[in-house]
Amino acid sequence: MDEELTPLDCLLPSGTQKICLILLNQPLDKDYLHILWGKALLKACADGAANHLHTITAGDRDSFLPDYISGDFDSITAEVKAFYADKGCRLIETADQDLTDFTKCLAIMLKEIQEEQLKVDAIVTLGGLAGRFDQTMASVETLHHALSMTQLPVLIIQGTSLVCLLRPQGSHSLEVNTGLEGEWCSLIPVGGPCKTVTTGLKWNLNNQVLQFGKLVSTSNTFEPVAPGDPRKPVTVTTDQPLLWSMGIRKNGDDTE
Amino acid sequence: ALSLKFVPLHHYTLLKACADGAANHLHTITAGDRDSFLPDYISGDFDSITAEVKAFYADKGCRLIETADQDLTDFTKCLAIMLKEIQEEQLKVDAIVTLGGLAGRFDQTMASVETLHHALSMTQLPVLIIQGTSLVCLLRPQGSHSLEVNTGLEGEWCSLIPVGGPCKTVTTGLKWNLNNQVLQFGKLVSTSNTFEPVAPGDPRKPVTVTTDQPLLWSMGIRKNGDDTE
Repeated sequence: MDEELTPLDCLLPSGTQKICLILLNQPLDKDYLHILWGKALLKACADGAANHLHTITAGDRDSFLPDYISGDFDSITAEVKAFYADKGCRLIETADQDLTDFTKCLAIMLKEIQEEQLKVDAIVTLGGLAGRFDQTMASVETLHHALSMTQLPVLIIQGTSLVCLLRPQGSHSLEVNTGLEGEWCSLIPVGGPCKTVTTGLKWNLNNQVLQFGKLVSTSNTFEPVAPGDPRKPVTVTTDQPLLWSMGIRKNGDDTE
Repeated sequence: ALSLKFVPLHHYTLLKACADGAANHLHTITAGDRDSFLPDYISGDFDSITAEVKAFYADKGCRLIETADQDLTDFTKCLAIMLKEIQEEQLKVDAIVTLGGLAGRFDQTMASVETLHHALSMTQLPVLIIQGTSLVCLLRPQGSHSLEVNTGLEGEWCSLIPVGGPCKTVTTGLKWNLNNQVLQFGKLVSTSNTFEPVAPGDPRKPVTVTTDQPLLWSMGIRKNGDDTE
């Protein structure tokens, strides 16, 4: 199954993707939140994400009421929980200790998308890539689980990084001309060796095996084009799930 | 950014080095006492260090070692130089500690983990990375590892992450131990684990880990008596 994806379409005001939004328990970027919230057909908080949402939307909280807040509720404060409950947001307690709040929140979202027969192009997640290192890795694990939960792309955005796990079927064609792309990109074989073929990168892979300890593609970038020309799509084929990561330009500044 | 809450570390450190732009952060954070914090060398391709900072440390006698190899990261190259100096000076060293490398650009975090993999064939010394309230260390697939976790600086979480491939793992001393189970992304990754509970006042038992492939250990660091992260 070949996939076409414009990873940063979701942050583009003129973008056409229909998305659903999951907020994770990390400080929220106000600009990202505003643009994603406006586009999202469904919006959810995983547990303590609600605390961050409550804080950052002070003064306009009624415009940022999630459809539901899910999790084991060990992070959300009593005050924030009561606030959103009073506003009619659903609180869905998910006590399964073997799955993270993120995975459980995603499962609920997929169920609602199916039940409401929503036409969705991608699930976008804010947060999950900073803070405790184990929780960053747990976010990557959720992306792996997501491969068997849905065919939809699941993207994670935090700071100036986006990550997305490419499934090992067919080839992926990533459009990178939104103007929001930063200068770097990367292919990371997090779960195991990936035999990889790419085009559109400065340093392409030609049936090479990406593997920790041997070859990991970091600080890669896009194939140079003549000034004024659009970038070519990045195409990736892999025989195992392979993590794509790229930089996001912020405020015209991508010095990170 | 570097946290100098670990200043005590400075007094036990035999060699200190900056990888490229780390020198900018060092220069900033040691304002007022820069002479006490002069690295032995600064290495890298020098595309991040500012001209001002570079000149400052050069004037102070710090060595600037330009390493142009584009296939290796600044971290890997800096580590290679350090290991060479340890050997040349026949220093008795227990561990290499790295500050930074776990935050910022996601690909650079992963590149830090890749450097830890390379380090397994570069040295027998443990190479630790610390940033924020996280420590990571790659456990090699030979013998078993016994991790003492009673310094009082341990946070409440720990984790075993099979970055790079499946790891058949046995542990003791964790709340959720592994008993010859395979850790693998998509199947089982041990995150938000913690230490085996002990009676109040008793020291924690060591965490022991045996693995058949390199396995990333990660744990929380208590900061200022606060480990609410």
